[in-house]
Amino acid sequence: MVKEIERAGIPVVHIATVVPISLTIGANRIVPAVGIPYPLGDPNLGEDKSKKIRRELVELALKALMTPVEEQTVFEK
Amino acid sequence: MKLELGKIFIHDVQFAERTYAENGILYICRQEILDLVLQDDRLVSAEVELARPGESVRIAPIKDVIEPRVKVDGGGLFPGIISKVKQVGEGRTHALVGAAVVTSGRIVGFQEGIIDMSGEAARYTPFSKTNNVCVIFHAKDGIDAHEHETAGRLAGLKVAAYIGEAARDITPDEVVAYETKPYLEQIAEYPDLPRVGYIHMLQSQGLLHDTYYYGVDAKKFIPTFMYPTEIMDGAIVSGNCVAPCDKVTTFHHLNNPVIEDLYKRHGKDLNFIGVILTNENVFLADKERCSDMVGKLVGFLGLDGVIITEEGYGNPDTDLMMNCKKATMAGAKVVLITDEFPGRDGKSQSLADAVPEAETVVSCGQGNVIIHFPPMDKVIGTLEYVETMIGGYEGSLKPDGSIDAELQIIIASTIANGYNHLAARTY
Repeated sequence: MVKEIERAGIPVVHIATVVPISLTIGANRIVPAVGIPYPLGDPNLGEDKSKKIRRELVELALKALMTPVEEQTVFEK
Repeated sequence: MKLELGKIFIHDVQFAERTYAENGILYICRQEILDLVLQDDRLVSAEVELARPGESVRIAPIKDVIEPRVKVDGGGLFPGIISKVKQVGEGRTHALVGAAVVTSGRIVGFQEGIIDMSGEAARYTPFSKTNNVCVIFHAKDGIDAHEHETAGRLAGLKVAAYIGEAARDITPDEVVAYETKPYLEQIAEYPDLPRVGYIHMLQSQGLLHDTYYYGVDAKKFIPTFMYPTEIMDGAIVSGNCVAPCDKVTTFHHLNNPVIEDLYKRHGKDLNFIGVILTNENVFLADKERCSDMVGKLVGFLGLDGVIITEEGYGNPDTDLMMNCKKATMAGAKVVLITDEFPGRDGKSQSLADAVPEAETVVSCGQGNVIIHFPPMDKVIGTLEYVETMIGGYEGSLKPDGSIDAELQIIIASTIANGYNHLAARTY
């Protein structure tokens, strides 16, 4: 899906739990997510902290979207 | 560590007043099995049915399959689960080869798979050729899914150990001795043969995708070394609710074909050093950490070659590839055994991940091809979940009881350790 949307000329950020798969598939902008059972939060930390994690990930993804890249790039914090 | 495995070949199973084996026939006391299963107060009722090769019988959904065995000498079967924690893999074990305990129940429901005892679909599962004692368990209302899984898992193991007792005092039809020595002695025994190891990846993703080593949840250990004979006494137990086709049942752990074949060549053209046991976790940091440990053990043991198998597919393909890469970097030649999921048209990438080091791969077939299942006279369990099982889809189950579904709905059809008859070749 990432590749097809980019083929149509729209840049994509892949928020991915397993970054190596995202790299293998060919995503250009990758933001590592928390983990497979809970990609965008952490139920162990409660809803408030999960929301904070979610916001940080989305903001990082938006920053990645605005960043020109020459090659596959993983956006760590 | 040396284990003698005595095999008693079973070619039929019958109900009787007591449980015993004689002249290749396994006799089962239904009531004693029911009493044993219902000792667990999480289970409110159960049924016991027999299914023999060639019968017009369909079993679904399958929780686990276990070969009945008994430790004649040297500890207890399934240590840390139903026996006390004690090192196994030594002494003597008897197995009722050709018999199996098959557990079924309304658990999870969507990933548990089918066994046909005859017809076209029967040839894709090894359990159409075993004489099956099927235990269908029913849990109390409102039970938590994990408790439900635990109760079902323990029921199967207890029944297998109970039936296995029938083999204790029988003179086996065949005795096979397996031996792996402590590292320095093993190296010294065949100094000129290539040192080969087996990296055994256990499904450990949680959410009912779990495997246990001496009772320890595999997601909680870091990779370790195992003598290959430990596995034959039930050191590893499946607690899995994963895609049926490549679920490694407890039967498959007891009868791991990679270990079996490596032993056959041990001392001839290779020196089988042992097993590196690892897991498949859901966090990237765990995947990195555990594959690092695997690579470290490969280097530390000075392995010239390794075979790696995985359980399940999808994100575990990343663990497989990380292990492949790091074992290669540690100096070993690597062969991967896996299965493939290229979509029904066969045109998609068949593993979720790949690395350049994965240049030698043995395929156990692809799980997406659609198979026709003719109607059967008898269903053990229920077909209620067929359309929501992995491999099933809306319209899979026909009014006459026949089924069209992807091959992956059949237990062990593409099992990624080679205990099947499918293969793929590159031309």
